[in-house]
Amino acid sequence: MGSLRLGTYTFSSRLILGTGKFSSTSAMIEAVRASGTQLVTVALRRFNREQAEDDLFGPLSEIEGLTLMPNTSGAATAKEAVKAAHISRELSGSPFIKVEIHPNPHHLMPDPIETWEACKILAAEGFIVMPYIPADPVLAKRLEEVGCSSVMPLGSAIGSGQGLSTAEMVKIIIRESSVPVIIDAGLRSPSEACAAMEMGCEAVLVNSAVAVARDPAAMALAFAKAVEAGFEARNAGLMPRSGSAVATSPLTSFLGAAS
Amino acid sequence: MSTIHITLNGERKEIPAGSTVAELLVIADAGRQPVAVVVNEHIVRPDQRDSCILQDQDQVEILVFAGGG
Repeated sequence: MGSLRLGTYTFSSRLILGTGKFSSTSAMIEAVRASGTQLVTVALRRFNREQAEDDLFGPLSEIEGLTLMPNTSGAATAKEAVKAAHISRELSGSPFIKVEIHPNPHHLMPDPIETWEACKILAAEGFIVMPYIPADPVLAKRLEEVGCSSVMPLGSAIGSGQGLSTAEMVKIIIRESSVPVIIDAGLRSPSEACAAMEMGCEAVLVNSAVAVARDPAAMALAFAKAVEAGFEARNAGLMPRSGSAVATSPLTSFLGAAS
Repeated sequence: MSTIHITLNGERKEIPAGSTVAELLVIADAGRQPVAVVVNEHIVRPDQRDSCILQDQDQVEILVFAGGG
């Protein structure tokens, strides 16, 4: 399937995986490998010598062809997000940054104003900026205008598993957008990822649905197949909907004519 | 031996006066993996850590990557 272009990078996989919530680092690594993903998100946290074995950098850097996309999780303002981005770039060496600014810990909805401000600064500094946003077509366009390499509207609230509840707004964003639109957050099942791709998304970002599955590696593979199927179906051309039945077999009756 | 007090990842810590960032990483047992170091809001890159001498009351953050979506 055709390549996903983000900034100066191209990826053959259109599934982006989050690395949070897994029961162990090894379970996460197995899922990343099974999915064939080439882009994964990570988050900054304070070093803790008791949890030193949980460091993800070592195990992830051993996977060939994998690019890290640090997020700015924990930032409540543009200023904090920019600071997190600078530290992340220093640590990862990756130009990717997922701008994620949600000041309210209850609903985790992104702050559009702080997000726009942070994206403007980071795009000007040369980051490949990937903002996590509410499904707002006006905001999406404004972010494209300040140099974001994609826009990532939420399907539904982070970790909720409520699927593509924003589908109609996302369709407008896709229609208007000149940068890849990536569904980020809320997906529960591979069929929803497939639907997002059929709808016109260029990629899908999944974390919880894989991480909390009974078998994360198997679920990661299922999502990868669904994303690929949705993308190929879209390119193949979906048939138009009809308000009434349209026969697929001839209706001329030879049985009646024979009697 | 004289000592200074710094704040490391939000906690007060006593270290030998004249310690560098590189020496702090050894003291904190953080030298075995890639880390980012921020001193008083400024990033201290790996090639600066041997020459960056910590001062009394410095605010130091040692950061790593953890799982996140």
